[in-house]
Amino acid sequence: MEEYSSGDEAVFSADDATISVKECIEGVIGGTDYNQSKVNQWTATIVEHSLTHLVKQGRPFKYIVNCTIMQKSGAGLHTANSCYWDTATDGSCTVRWENRTIYCVVSVFAVAVTL
Amino acid sequence: MDEYQTEDETAFVVEESVEAAIGGNAYQHSRVNQWTTSVVEQCLSQLSKLGKPFKYIVTCIIMQKNGAGLQTASACFWDNTTDGSCAVRWENKSMYCIVNVFGLSI
Repeated sequence: MEEYSSGDEAVFSADDATISVKECIEGVIGGTDYNQSKVNQWTATIVEHSLTHLVKQGRPFKYIVNCTIMQKSGAGLHTANSCYWDTATDGSCTVRWENRTIYCVVSVFAVAVTL
Repeated sequence: MDEYQTEDETAFVVEESVEAAIGGNAYQHSRVNQWTTSVVEQCLSQLSKLGKPFKYIVTCIIMQKNGAGLQTASACFWDNTTDGSCAVRWENKSMYCIVNVFGLSI
């Protein structure tokens, strides 16, 4: 991937997004075990916090944040994404996180807004 | 050009694509990689054929039926009047398939 100048606000920075999403996940489920009654609340909190952080950056993008949490019980899980957009300006990033009892996969998609 | 795309229209296109890609198969670890790719590609190509002025994001999750719990959530920051999403849940005896389509107007 090309390097963009740090002053260019109209390009999605996958690295920044990855860091901020990892922090969100750690903050919500770091150190907890899978709990069926709480998982609904966890996914909602993770997507809301991640989205809020991204929007606060004030860049001209529409965002979609997707979070999947799965209990570790030996089942197979596979996810895939496909996007039909402008590859010059739009981008995505996926963060995989796990602990002893939980798998968590968060995807962020950013689509440029033409003002 | 028709600028609107209903959820039902999208759901229909997606269901057909999923059936065509994995209908009638049992969960197989060695093939699931190929299946998720084929589901998203099929969906995306059928959606782009509709010729509507939208950018699309299609995600697919395939999970083996094993008693595990799975939860997914999405949050979107977009224009509520023009953009939308639709989720399609499909299953057979050995696996679950969840496809999310997000459409953002250009």
